[in-house]
Amino acid sequence: MSRPTQKKYCFLLIFLVHFLGTSQINKLDSLKNELKANTSKDTIRAGLLIELASELTYSEPNKGFSLIEEALAISKKNTWIKGEALAQRQKGNLHYVLADNLNAMDAYQKALVLSRKIPDKQLEASVLSNLGNIHADLKEYDQALQNYRAYLETSRTLGNRAEEIKALSNIAIIYNDTENFEEGVSYLNKALTLAKEEGNDLFIAAITNNLALAYKNLGEHQKALFHYQEAMAMAQKIGNKYIEASALNSIGKINLLLKNYAVAETYASNALSLSKEIGAVEWEADSWEVLSKVYEQNGKMPEALNAYKKHIQLRDSVLNEEKKSELTRKEMQFQMERQQAVANEEIKRQQLAKIIYLIGAIFFVLMAMFGYYIYKRRRDALEKKKTAEFNAKVSETELKALRSQMNPHFIFNSLNSISDFISKNDIRQADDYLVKFSKLTRAILENSEKKSITLSEDLELMELYMQIETIRLQNKLHHQITIDQDIEPNNTLVPPLILQPFIENSIWHGIAPKNGDGHIDIKIEKEGDMLKYVVDDNGVGQSKKNVRGKKSNGSFGIKITKSRIDILSHIKNKKGSVNLMDKPEGVRVEITLPLELQF
Amino acid sequence: MLKALIVDDEQHCIDRLERLLRSSTYNIKIIAYCKTIDEAIKEIASRTPDILFLDVQLGNGTGFDLLSQLDHIDFEVIFTTSYDKYALKAFKFSALDYLLKPIDNTDLDNALQKLRQQKNLKETSQKIDILFHNFKESNPSSKRIAIPTVAGFTMLDTKQIIRFQSDANYTHIHTLSNKKITASKTIKYFEDILDDNTFFRVHKSHLVNLDYIEAYTKGKGGHITLSDKTRIEVAVRRKDELIQKLRA
Repeated sequence: MSRPTQKKYCFLLIFLVHFLGTSQINKLDSLKNELKANTSKDTIRAGLLIELASELTYSEPNKGFSLIEEALAISKKNTWIKGEALAQRQKGNLHYVLADNLNAMDAYQKALVLSRKIPDKQLEASVLSNLGNIHADLKEYDQALQNYRAYLETSRTLGNRAEEIKALSNIAIIYNDTENFEEGVSYLNKALTLAKEEGNDLFIAAITNNLALAYKNLGEHQKALFHYQEAMAMAQKIGNKYIEASALNSIGKINLLLKNYAVAETYASNALSLSKEIGAVEWEADSWEVLSKVYEQNGKMPEALNAYKKHIQLRDSVLNEEKKSELTRKEMQFQMERQQAVANEEIKRQQLAKIIYLIGAIFFVLMAMFGYYIYKRRRDALEKKKTAEFNAKVSETELKALRSQMNPHFIFNSLNSISDFISKNDIRQADDYLVKFSKLTRAILENSEKKSITLSEDLELMELYMQIETIRLQNKLHHQITIDQDIEPNNTLVPPLILQPFIENSIWHGIAPKNGDGHIDIKIEKEGDMLKYVVDDNGVGQSKKNVRGKKSNGSFGIKITKSRIDILSHIKNKKGSVNLMDKPEGVRVEITLPLELQF
Repeated sequence: MLKALIVDDEQHCIDRLERLLRSSTYNIKIIAYCKTIDEAIKEIASRTPDILFLDVQLGNGTGFDLLSQLDHIDFEVIFTTSYDKYALKAFKFSALDYLLKPIDNTDLDNALQKLRQQKNLKETSQKIDILFHNFKESNPSSKRIAIPTVAGFTMLDTKQIIRFQSDANYTHIHTLSNKKITASKTIKYFEDILDDNTFFRVHKSHLVNLDYIEAYTKGKGGHITLSDKTRIEVAVRRKDELIQKLRA
């Protein structure tokens, strides 16, 4: 026979209050009287209610609940947290004795939270102990032990001896339940020493009884017998029939094992009558078993059979009870586990939801940032493009304006030149000159409207212009145009007439004032992605004729051309340039432009 | 000897041309000059000239008005004008000859040289038909063009032309009816004449009719597929403008 039975023989000290016996009845009456006198809803009444419920725990637990509810209500109203905590703990006790572990646990947990809130260490420890009892019932020994240890620690720290003894004793029970009897004995001895110091006979009796049980389990029958005798004597002394019955019964069993049949019979008989008196069916059954075996040994078969029958009968009823309670226990455990599982599931679910929300939020933020980035980049690009387009348009307009300024400039320069020519030459030549001039003018008017023309078209214009100037200077002017081999004149686009003002400048201010023949050499080269014009003249040079590059019309044309090149460079984002430099004889002009191809 | 009639409303222009023709090496006799359309119609009817020098802007109308009032044209026509962009383009379309005022001696000689090479008068009549057709036709994509070939001229509706392909100083013209005409002009000549939104120079060697582009395939410059299934490369520098035109 196993543990459930064994457990019945050890005494959880939490119940010891029950064994205080008949003196309690007086206390109950006095409490009831006090309650009747104290009807105002104050903390005194709440305290009395809790105390009364506590007194009723083992006799009429069901009556205790209404008292507790009232005590709870009063305590809450008066914000007496300790009262609330005590009431919850008592409620737990009530449920516990009614074997309603689930509600008991619930109440204890509330009490625990409240006790921590106050904070009241001793109360907290005792609640932990209560919870430990439930864990022990559910065979959650580790948890129970942990709770009891906390209980022990607190009780020691606060110097509460009675609580310390209870804690030690309860820990010992756990060890014994887990068949770690040596450890159990050690704790029981500690508890016993303290109980003796305190002179608490009830504790001494109960612990001694438990110690005896532990020795019995260790097989140390003599030690067990000795302690049982002591426990029995102490129980008799304080009139505790439970402990006495338990001890008598155990002594009987041990004597049976030791084959002291006569002694066993005596003790078993005593135990039987006492068990009957207190209604301890299981011990009754045990006593019958001992008696049955003793009769059997003595050859009293009919008595033996009768005793055995009684034993089986009682044992079965006990077993049924046990089975029932085991079933309840299992069910409760299952329910608790299920609740725990549901709670865990809920926690997991909430955690998962939290994580999902968090990930979602992070993702959303990232998406938003990414979206904004894309939007911004697109917007910036669009803006950039728009700005660029606008700038290009502005530049185009400026260029057009500049080009159109070139026309009157050119025409009136030429008209002056024609007038000069006519006054110096014959009509036939003047006519020839004029026809060429009209062709040039037409070409310039047509081409100056265009953004760009091919290099070959531009050079044709330049050629025509030079021819006219050559006529005017009576063949004093010679010119040569050289194009780099890697330039395709038909595929290269240039701004129309960009060279004209420089050539004009060379002719009017370089070669015209010069004695002797003048020469203009135009070279067109490719420099990387730039197009370079080099115009060399062998005229009088800049320094000699201050007009050059100053207030002359030539300088106006040059100024406009420089602006055109600046704007073109800006549009193409490349650095174009115009350089005028003096040579020992004449001037060199270098113009670089972004090279632009048609195809 | 050729009989020439000059129509111009300004005396100094008549005088200049007369002077130039007299000193020309070509044997040309000026039979009359007229200053108005009515006068000219009468003179043409009575004198049957071989060449008509016709000013575009006449006081009471245009040279075109004069031509339109004639039943048939059995003489050569050389237009004269000082500056008329519109008219010049029309002449180029129809390959009619013209002289810009003030008339240059060399230009006149060239014109007369060409005239002497002209095979028959029927060609001139056709060219003038083209001129009037184009005046009447407001849709720029259905103009008619006279294409100079080695043999003479070929008249084509521009909407018949799918594309032009350059071949040095010649240009091959591919038509809807799958014909290939070889013109004795550079591709640039056609690009300048067809300077409107119907034709586009996608490449150094290709001038295409935008109406016949079936697809554009992306690439560095990409290429286009025309309705006759030919694939034409697009120059990188022409890509953006082409896409813009195709979208428009």
